[in-house]
Amino acid sequence: MTSHAEALGHHEHHGPPAAHQSSRVDPRVLGMFLFIASEAMIFGSFFAAYFFVRVVNPDAPGTWPPEPFHFPVFVAGVNTIILVTSSFTMHWALQSIKRGQRTAFLAGMVLTFLMGLAFLLTQVIEYLHVGFNTGDGAFASVFFGLTGLHGAHVAVGLSLLGMVIIRGFRGHYSPEHHHGVELPGIYWHFVDVMWIVVYATVYLI
Amino acid sequence: MTTTHETQQTTTPQYPEHFEPPRGTAYRLLFGPGLVRGAWMGALFFVLGTLLVVGLRAWWGWDPVWLWPVIITVAGLTAAPIGFLAGIGAFDYWLYYLSGRPTRPEDHSGHGARSWRDYFRVNTDHKVIGIQYIVTTFVFFVIGGLFAMIFRAELAQPGLQFVNSQEFNGLVSAHATLMIFLFIIPAFAGIANYVVPLMLGAPDMAFPRLNALSFWLLPIAGVMFLASFLTPGGSFAAGWTGYAPLAEGQPLGQTFFNMGVQWAGASSVMTALNFLVTIITMRAPGMTFWRMPLLVWANFTTSLLVVVATPFIAGSQFFVLFDRVMHTDFFIPEGGGYVLGYQHIFWFYSHPAVYIMMLPGFGIVSEVISTMARKPIFGYRLMALSLVGILVLGFSVWAHHMFVAGMADWLRVPMMITTLLIAVPTGIKVFSWTATLWRGRIRLTTPMLFALGFVTMFVIGGLSGIYLGSVPVDIHASDTYFVVAHIHYVLFGGSVFTIFAGIYYWFPKMTGRMYDERLGKLHFWATFISFNLTFFPMHYVGLRGMPRRVFDYAEAFGDLNFVISIASFALGASTVVFFYNMVTSWARGPVAEANPWGAHTLEWQVSSPPPIFNFDEIPQVVAGPYEYGVAGARHAVMSPAREAQEVPA
Amino acid sequence: MRKGIVQLVAIGVVIAVATTLVAVLFQWLPTSASEEFDRIQDVYWLVTIISIAIFALVTALIVFSVWKWRVSPDDDEDGPPIHGNTTIEIVWTAIPALLVLVIGIVSAVVLARNGEAGTRPLRVEAVGQQFAWRFVYPDYENATSGELVLPVGKEAQFTMRSVDVIHSFWVPEFGQKMDAVPGIETTILVTPTRTGEFPVVCAELCGLGHATMRAKARVVSEAEFEDWIAEQR
Ligand code: HEA
Ligand code: HEA
Ligand code: CUA
Ligand SMILES: [Cu+2]
Repeated sequence: MTSHAEALGHHEHHGPPAAHQSSRVDPRVLGMFLFIASEAMIFGSFFAAYFFVRVVNPDAPGTWPPEPFHFPVFVAGVNTIILVTSSFTMHWALQSIKRGQRTAFLAGMVLTFLMGLAFLLTQVIEYLHVGFNTGDGAFASVFFGLTGLHGAHVAVGLSLLGMVIIRGFRGHYSPEHHHGVELPGIYWHFVDVMWIVVYATVYLI
Repeated sequence: MTTTHETQQTTTPQYPEHFEPPRGTAYRLLFGPGLVRGAWMGALFFVLGTLLVVGLRAWWGWDPVWLWPVIITVAGLTAAPIGFLAGIGAFDYWLYYLSGRPTRPEDHSGHGARSWRDYFRVNTDHKVIGIQYIVTTFVFFVIGGLFAMIFRAELAQPGLQFVNSQEFNGLVSAHATLMIFLFIIPAFAGIANYVVPLMLGAPDMAFPRLNALSFWLLPIAGVMFLASFLTPGGSFAAGWTGYAPLAEGQPLGQTFFNMGVQWAGASSVMTALNFLVTIITMRAPGMTFWRMPLLVWANFTTSLLVVVATPFIAGSQFFVLFDRVMHTDFFIPEGGGYVLGYQHIFWFYSHPAVYIMMLPGFGIVSEVISTMARKPIFGYRLMALSLVGILVLGFSVWAHHMFVAGMADWLRVPMMITTLLIAVPTGIKVFSWTATLWRGRIRLTTPMLFALGFVTMFVIGGLSGIYLGSVPVDIHASDTYFVVAHIHYVLFGGSVFTIFAGIYYWFPKMTGRMYDERLGKLHFWATFISFNLTFFPMHYVGLRGMPRRVFDYAEAFGDLNFVISIASFALGASTVVFFYNMVTSWARGPVAEANPWGAHTLEWQVSSPPPIFNFDEIPQVVAGPYEYGVAGARHAVMSPAREAQEVPA
Repeated sequence: MRKGIVQLVAIGVVIAVATTLVAVLFQWLPTSASEEFDRIQDVYWLVTIISIAIFALVTALIVFSVWKWRVSPDDDEDGPPIHGNTTIEIVWTAIPALLVLVIGIVSAVVLARNGEAGTRPLRVEAVGQQFAWRFVYPDYENATSGELVLPVGKEAQFTMRSVDVIHSFWVPEFGQKMDAVPGIETTILVTPTRTGEFPVVCAELCGLGHATMRAKARVVSEAEFEDWIAEQR
């Protein structure tokens, strides 16, 4: 996923002869998309578990979540807005570096990072106040399963963004070399879209 | 010529070493990337993981603070392996890069192996990695096979003789788990790692460092499976399928299975991703999809299967793990969970997995048969398309493992029809191979013997699959030794035979030496005969009423089981011939030519073993890979003057 | 070439005859003791006939080719550049497709017939527990027994339940098998056709005692059954 193009300075090239590029797709972008495909399938398996517990199971509870529990739909809704906004700031950051506007790029990255962090913290606080625990039944299993899996992805995304910020402040990106921003960006958008699906299935339906 | 390695050794500018303290110093030994640093960093991360668990539990006020299952899961099975990987240097480059420090220049000092020690390091050369894979997987093959020897000894007579029932179930489970996750799947990945970039005319895989990382995840998974034998309560013993809810009530060893599968799965997903990107973006000029060798096609389709399906087994094992250590209720009916959900999710991966374990073999056999019969593969396009057909159909048949599981009745007939339909693309392949033989000039070398042995044995295994695919017959035959017979006909007579074929076929390319043909033939016939003596009678005992996964059985099956056990020892012994041949030939076999089989594909157009970066200049592909008998036909031309194309940034 | 075809067919016939002998000289299936298994055995034979034909065809082609066109390993001449033949390829796509569809349809019909409960079957509950079976007769005031006793000729409808993990109820002579799954109920039908004693086998790995989870099934006359059940109450 990395390339010497972005390494600082120029070094003598001892490596293998460059490969013939037989596709217009950039290998790193293609790799990221395939990785996301398999990530989507991980979510798929968790959604499958949800489906079995809630739909297929003959003993599935009539109300969701079963009495007397409640999901914090409103807090999670606010959280959704935060995360969706962060996708836009991410996009803004990428566009900025493409145009060579370093300050806007950095501002966008930091904003995105902070919003992601806010999302994650809200999620943790929500867990503490939600009023049930992992052991309280299958509905709780799928609730913590799906939101937790997503939370883990946010954490991974945040680490990637953090790296971009560190490198950004060191002046590593330029209008010509911005793959290092683009790839974490793609991942961040994926995390965002996935949340919308999770939110809709777990909280809303 | 084996000297390629040595010449490179003397002209060292490829290997500048000034980034690391000189070899041999204590500092370098401790802090340079390598197994020593791997060991202490693994231990360090174990301690850190333990502190994390204990700290969090204390902070949250959970009781007890010191909870072994959780500590083992987090510190032992997650943190320690990460520490080990960091220690051997799998992450060095990325950590430099991500923290914004200047990365080492692209010196590719990780390329090539200068001594045997380099095989125990993180190395980014696909050829080194391929050999690392192959050797590692064969080690696990021997271990898994020896487990089979032990439980076959137990099964020679009814009643318990050598092991207790826990050990028996544990050995069977570990046997299958090692064979599947640490032998068949990664052995194919290893062969493909070596061969695919060469066949494409590429200098390496698309992501060499990811490639190295994928390899190093494997020994971790293997050690984890084996370490479960040391846990109190013994190894995981719920079968390789680890059905819930049985697996949830098992002792600690089951956790090792849950986590080991994650590491092995991550390894295959990353390799598959690497193959896909390599095949899509790094083909030599002129190498259109319709000119790719069938081995490349096979790995392309397999990799798609891996990327899409493997996350499901990860999911299934996570749920069991959560149920075990976090008291969730995914598969616990009392808590509102749904037991059959496990089987659906597990088989949604594990059925495609059986094609993951077969399609690369189809590719190998296509190469071998075409080369050894000296004819173009019959119906090349349909051969490629049938792979795609199997890929697509393979996702729609998982519930044939659940015909008697009590799942929804309406699912049975549709799943039966799709299951049976897989015979059609598979049949296309079988018939095309026989048609390739027709009027060929057949050279019965060892790889060819294994390829032909494969076709016949796989047809038997496939046909027993048809019996199982028919719901009424499966209702009788499910969970019996008939299924065990099916498994081994498709996996041993199928996959393992193709692996043998591939190893013999590319042995001269990989080692630069020739194996002993007489020993090779002896190996084939000994294996072929003892294989059939071992596994054919299993059809019979199964249909007559012997269930699988039992240490004790009705007296009536005693005699046949005795015969099976004896034959299985012979089968084990036959592999000794193979290992002897491989080891001695590698050490002092006759030097191999670049192209001993007269094949057309690209890997044979370079020296044996290939130069460090495969091709001095990128070849130009001008025709299909199997143009035997066409006057003057070539697959590719190696034009000396053409400049390597620059990668657009 | 004519001669070659004759030789090929001869090899195929030899292989087919040999495989057929293997298929009929050994008794591969237990002697059926239920109507359901009679039907299953019909499907089994259909699949066997097709399998023998396919196996003979493929092996004959291979044996014949190797025998006819084998050359020494040093030979480096090429064979004729035959790339394919559309007609043949269509044939070997269509015929297997047809064959498996026949298998599929026959199987589906048999499955449906084996699942049709008649009027007033004898109801039996089979309860699996590590590591024993318990049989409950709800029609007879929930009489309970560790032994399965069925009247001959009367359809029995089993309902499987499990107390702990998954087990699988299987009587090889009945040819019927079904998992007992905790949390859900599963069913299967058996119509015994002859009296005798048969083993009840647990077919799903259920823990350390899986191999020993056996019970006895007895098929008896109607009168004997009534006597037996009276004792159990
Ligand atoms: C390499 C691995 C591999 C392969 C390729 C296959 C291939 C097939 N398998 Fe198998 N299978 C396993 C590995 C594999 N299987 C394993 C490991 C298990 C057990 C898991 C466990 O429980 O532990 C299993 C279990 C299993 C079951 C469940 C049994 C049970 O537990 O009750 C079923 C049921 O349908 C089945 C069916 C099939 C079918 C229809 C094929 C088909 O793909 C076969 C197609 C091939 C042919 C048919 C031969 C060639 C075709 C022709 C020459 C054309 C003409 C043919 C006809 C007209 C019929 N398999
Ligand atoms: C690729 C997969 C693969 C391979 C290669 C094998 C290889 C073998 N298998 Fe395995 N097997 C499975 C996959 C595989 N198996 C699976 C998936 C199951 C289902 C498990 C489950 O139910 O969960 C299974 C289950 C299984 C069972 C059923 C157990 C049960 O249900 O109770 C049996 C029984 O005989 C068996 C036997 C063997 C034997 C004798 C070999 C032999 O071919 C092994 C030969 C190889 C060696 C022995 C290694 C080399 C040895 C040496 C170099 C040393 C020399 C040794 C001597 C001289 C003794 N296997
Ligand atoms: Cu009960 Cu096996
Ligand atoms: Cu399957």
